[in-house]
Amino acid sequence: MRAPLYWLTTACVFPAMAEVNTAYVELQGERLQQGRKIWLATCEGCHGYGIAGAPVPMDPEEWVPRLEKDKAVLYEHAINGFFGVDDTMMPARGGNPDLSDNEVRSAVDYMAALAAYYIQLKRK
Amino acid sequence: MKAIHKTLIALGVAASVAGLSTAIAGDDAFTKPSISAKAMADALHLVMDSDRTIYTRKIVNRLVKKEKVIKASEHFEDDKALVLPAQMFRFGSELVAKRAEKLDDVNFSYSLQSLWPINAQNAPKTDVEKEGLKFIAENKGENYYAEETLGGKSYFTAIYADVGVAPVCVSCHNDHKDTPKRDFKLGDVMGGVVIRIPMDG
Repeated sequence: MRAPLYWLTTACVFPAMAEVNTAYVELQGERLQQGRKIWLATCEGCHGYGIAGAPVPMDPEEWVPRLEKDKAVLYEHAINGFFGVDDTMMPARGGNPDLSDNEVRSAVDYMAALAAYYIQLKRK
Repeated sequence: MKAIHKTLIALGVAASVAGLSTAIAGDDAFTKPSISAKAMADALHLVMDSDRTIYTRKIVNRLVKKEKVIKASEHFEDDKALVLPAQMFRFGSELVAKRAEKLDDVNFSYSLQSLWPINAQNAPKTDVEKEGLKFIAENKGENYYAEETLGGKSYFTAIYADVGVAPVCVSCHNDHKDTPKRDFKLGDVMGGVVIRIPMDG
């Protein structure tokens, strides 16, 4: 249960509510802002809607167990691709081979921080 | 609970569509309309989409991507390969149309269409199809519902987004010699499932 807090405290700060005008909250910090741009361009198409079993960061139930994993696992799955227990398939680099490892990691950082944001929001 | 409710509706509609209701004809509960056209379309789509999802995951993802024991190919006969998920869906719709011709109380049709079809016969034809496919492409996550009159008959038409869920969907469409669009990316709405139900019984 510490994992969501970990992602928040190490990676972001809650934004002022006035800045929240979309479900894809803009989180503070240069890395998360870069990650958000990459996430919107490459990951949002599936993760924003749960397409093909992609976990939606606005759904706390889907993300609590994922954030309890070592973040290296999330990075590895995002960079190299991953088959889920129901034979769902996460394509390597979200299907965008032009992304560098670091860019993929920053998108993961944003998605994990966004999920942590919604988990914290639900607990309040 | 919500999922169970949806499943029960889907099973009920599937049974009715299959003609099982005729076995108990005379019972008002089974002969009088008890489901809206929208609910029926949503239930039909739920069944279609779930079947296609399972084919994609348990057959294509597992055998082609994960275990690597066979390929999936548009030219599945020549390549001795699995049919693509979109082909599986299209073959199903063609078989339903053929079988429905012999069933008096089964009146619906469905098809996979696109504003950017590789095969021109899969382009939208009616105004509702054109408007609906444009709507779902511009409003991702939403469905489109409308009534239309064709050949003097009224129909309820529902259109659901068809999204590119695997890199091969996107690359195949972008690279195909007949494609009118080459900049699809993963997660894009590439077309739509059109379900049409007559309103006049």
